[in-house]
Amino acid sequence: MSESSKENSLEKLRALGARLIESICDGKFPSIQIPDRSTANIHFDSELNHFTLGDGFVIRDSSNIKHIRSFAQLVWVASFAKNLLQSGRTSSLRDLYYSAEAFDIDFKNQAESDRIVTDLECAIGLAREEFAIYSEEHSSIFGEVTMEYTAPGYEGRQLDLTVSPDGLPIGPAIMTAEPLHTDANRILAVESGGIFSRLIESHAWRRFGSILVHLGGQPPRSTRKLLRKLTESLDIPLYIFTDGDPWGMHIAQVIISGSANAAHIPHLTVPSAEWIGITPQDIVDYKLPSETLKGVDLKRLDELSNDVRYTSTFWQDHIREFKEVRKKAEQQAFSRYGIDFVVDTYLPDKLSLC
Amino acid sequence: MNSPTDETFSSISPAEFFYRNRQMAGFGNPTQAVYSTIRELVENSIDACEQKQIMPKIRVSIHTIDSDELSISVDDNGVGVPTEEIPAAFGRVLYGSKYDARQRRGTFGLGVTMAILYGQITTDTPVLIHSQTENSPGILLSLSIDVENNEPIVLSQESLMRKSTGTCVKLHIRGDLKRSIDRVVEYLSLTTVGTPHACIVLDVDMQESLTWGPYSDECPSPTITCKPHPRSADFEILRRLMDKNPDFTLHQFLVENFQQVGTRTATKFLSFMAFDPSERVSKLSRRAVTKLSRSLQKYDAFSRPDSRCLSVIGKRPMQSAIKSLYDPLLVAYDSRDPSEWNGHPFILEGAIALGSSFPVTSLPTLYRFANRVPLLYDASEDLLTKVLRKTRWTRYGLKSPKSVAIFINLCSTRVPYKAAGKQSIASIPQIEEEIKHLMNSLGRKLNKSLKKTDKIYRDKRRIRMFTKYFEKITSFSADLADYPSVPSVSSMIDELFEVDTDV
Ligand SMILES: Nc1ncnc2c1ncn2[C@@H]1O[C@H](COP(=O)(O)OP(=O)(O)O)[C@@H](O)[C@H]1O
Ligand SMILES: [Mg+2]
Repeated sequence: MSESSKENSLEKLRALGARLIESICDGKFPSIQIPDRSTANIHFDSELNHFTLGDGFVIRDSSNIKHIRSFAQLVWVASFAKNLLQSGRTSSLRDLYYSAEAFDIDFKNQAESDRIVTDLECAIGLAREEFAIYSEEHSSIFGEVTMEYTAPGYEGRQLDLTVSPDGLPIGPAIMTAEPLHTDANRILAVESGGIFSRLIESHAWRRFGSILVHLGGQPPRSTRKLLRKLTESLDIPLYIFTDGDPWGMHIAQVIISGSANAAHIPHLTVPSAEWIGITPQDIVDYKLPSETLKGVDLKRLDELSNDVRYTSTFWQDHIREFKEVRKKAEQQAFSRYGIDFVVDTYLPDKLSLC
Repeated sequence: MNSPTDETFSSISPAEFFYRNRQMAGFGNPTQAVYSTIRELVENSIDACEQKQIMPKIRVSIHTIDSDELSISVDDNGVGVPTEEIPAAFGRVLYGSKYDARQRRGTFGLGVTMAILYGQITTDTPVLIHSQTENSPGILLSLSIDVENNEPIVLSQESLMRKSTGTCVKLHIRGDLKRSIDRVVEYLSLTTVGTPHACIVLDVDMQESLTWGPYSDECPSPTITCKPHPRSADFEILRRLMDKNPDFTLHQFLVENFQQVGTRTATKFLSFMAFDPSERVSKLSRRAVTKLSRSLQKYDAFSRPDSRCLSVIGKRPMQSAIKSLYDPLLVAYDSRDPSEWNGHPFILEGAIALGSSFPVTSLPTLYRFANRVPLLYDASEDLLTKVLRKTRWTRYGLKSPKSVAIFINLCSTRVPYKAAGKQSIASIPQIEEEIKHLMNSLGRKLNKSLKKTDKIYRDKRRIRMFTKYFEKITSFSADLADYPSVPSVSSMIDELFEVDTDV
C-alpha cells in the first residue's frame, strides 16, 4: 500500500477514535452513523451501470444496550486495523475473526465479524483492503505486466507477472502494487483453473496479447479491484470467459456492474468489460456436450431477467436464449474437440469478433 | 398349661411405665437421649420466661465425663421454681404447671422428669437444681426419683443465691456426644427461629462457645389462659371439672367451665340434646357423662375457640431470624386465620426462603415447628411432610431443583403428636387443609419473588455486560485516537441505568 493511501486510512481511523473518545470525555455516549445497506437504500445507477447507496443511514448508539456489543466490535475492528497499518501487516477476514478472542471481543461466527468489517467500511468510507484486511481466497494472475510493489520491505521492487508458469496469487502485495507498463493489449479473465493453465501452457496468452486472470468462481473483491486498476491505468479492455450457465454469466455481470453487497465501495466495477461466453448460442453453434438446465438454474434466470443490471437487450437476449435451448455447458466441454480446441479455435473466434 | 392363678397382677407407677417405654419419649438410645435431654431442659427454660415477658438468655453446657457419660446443664433467666415445688416438678412424672388450655412447649409434665429418670438409671447420679424466684431465695437441691413409687427423694439442700431469678438444671446421662452434636446444634439454632427473641449459648467441653440470637427485640405478649372449648370436652376433662364443682347444675357447669358457652347457648344446647339443665353434675351417671361429652363434641353451633391463647412467631421475628441464620436471597412469610380441630384452636404460619445455605432439591427443604419448637425426628411420618409432597411445587418456580427451604409452625393448645416423643404431627383433616393452603400461598409468594429476583439478576447481568463493552469502546477509542490515558466511565454508566430503572 502506498504511503499516502496508508496515511489516509490511518487518518480516517484516528478521526473516528477521536470523535468517540472526545464524546466520552464530555460524558456523552457517542454514536456512529453508518450508511444504510438495506435494499431500500441501494440504488442502481443505470447511467454509471453500478450500484450506489442512497442517503439513508443507521445510527449505532453506545447508550443503547441493544447496540453496545456491535458498537464495541466495530471499534475493536478499527483499532485492530490501525495496528495492522502501523506495523505494515495485513490480516485475512478469518484471521481477524480469530484475533478477536484475545481482546475479549466475541463474534458468534465469521459471518458476524465479516459484517462488522463491512460496517466499518461504510462508516469511514474505505474498502477493507485499504485498512489491510483481505479475504482468504485468492485469484491468480499471469501476463506481461510490470508491477512495482508498495508492500513493506518490497517498496520499489519491480515484478514481471510471467515469472511463474503457475501464475501469481492476487494477495495484498499485488493488490497494492502499481502497474507500470505492459505489452499486452487486453485482459482475459477466465472462470476455471483448467482453462487458465491451458492458456499459459499453450502460450496462447502471447498469441492473444493477453494478461490472464483466473477468477475461480465469484472472484473476491480484491480481484475486481485489481481488474479495475489494470484496465484503467493500462488502458486496455477486459474480456470475461465463463461457464455457459446463469451463474457463469452472473460472474461476468458482477465484474461489469458490481453487486448490491458492495454498493458502499466505489471503484470496483469495470463497466466496459465484455462477456464473451460461453453464450447459449455457443452451446448450439459448437455442439458442446451439455446438461439440461435444472430447476434452480431456471429460477436463477427468472431472477436475473428482473434484475436492474440485466435490462439491456444484450442481456435479455442471452437470458431468453438460455431458456430456449434449456442447456448449460462448462468451459471444459470444448475438450471434446481436443484439449487445444478452446485456445486454437474458440477463443480466436470470440476475440476477433470483439 | 398354666392355671390362671399363676399369673401375678400388679400395677406399675407412671415413672416406671415411662422408663420402660422410654423410646416413646425420645430416650431410646444414647444419641437421641442427648438431644432429648437438652430439648426438654431448653423448652422448660423458654417456657419459664414467657409469662413474665423475660427475654430468654439460656446457656447450655455439655461436658464429657467419660467416653459415654456426659454432664449436661442448662441455665436460664426465667421465673424460677418455688422452693416447695422443686421436688415434685422435677421428681414426679406427670406433675407440672402447664395443664391449662394455653400454648406451651411442655404439655404432659413429663419432659424434664424423663431426662432425670434416664440420667439416674444410666449413671446412678442425682440431678442438681439451682433455682431462685422473686419470692423464694436461691436454693441448690440434689434429688433423685423413687421410680417404683413415682416420688422425689431430696438428697441435699442448701441456700445459694443466684445473680437473678432463674433455674439451672444439671444432670449426668449416658450419651453419645459425637453422634448427637450436629442434631443439638441444629435444634438450638432452629429454636431461635421458633423463639427469635431468645439468646442461646452452647459450650461443649473446651471448644469455643456458639451463640444464636436474639434476632428480634419484640417480646411476644403473654398468652391468655382460656377455659376449654366445649367441643374439646372428652370424658376425662368432664370428670375432672365435675369433681371440682360437684354442686353445679348442668347449665351452671357448662357456663362456668367452658368458653363460648353463655346462658343462652347452654340452654339451647341442653334442650336440643335433651338434657335436664337443673340436674346436679354430681348426680350424673357415667353413661350420662359419656353422652354429654359426645353431644358437646358433635354440637356445631358453638362459636370457634378463642385463639388468644395462641402465640405465633410472627412475620417480622421469623423473617429476621431466618435472615440472620441463613442469609437468604429472599424470604417470604404468611399465616392462616385461626381454625380449630375438635375444639382446639390452632394457627399455621410459615416462611419460605431461597438461598445457598439450603440444599438444592426439587422439593423445598422442610423445617417443622410445633408451638415454636423445632421437630427434628420422624419427618417422614409427619403430616407436614405429607402435604409438602402433595403440593405441586413445579407450579411455583421449582421446575428445576433450587435451594429453597420452607419453615412451618403449627400453634395449638393441643398439638396432635403421634407419640410422646413429640416429633411428628398426626394427620388431622382440618389441620391438613390449612397446611395445604399455607404451602400454596407460600409457593405463590416464592414464585413471585423468583420472578422478581430473576429480573434483578437479568438486569445486573445486562449492566455488567454493558459496562464491559462500554469500557472496551472507551479503551479502543483511546487507542485509535492515540489518547495517552483511558477515562473512567463508571459514573456515566451509573447515571444511564439510574435513569433506566426509574422508568
Ligand atoms: N427451667 C424451669 N423454670 C421454671 N419452671 C420449670 C423449669 N423446668 C421445669 N419447671 C417446672 O416443672 C414442671 C415440670 O416440667 P416438665 O416435667 O418438663 O413438664 P412440662 O414442661 O411438660 O410441664 C413444669 O411444668 C414447670 O412448672
Ligand atoms: Mg417440659
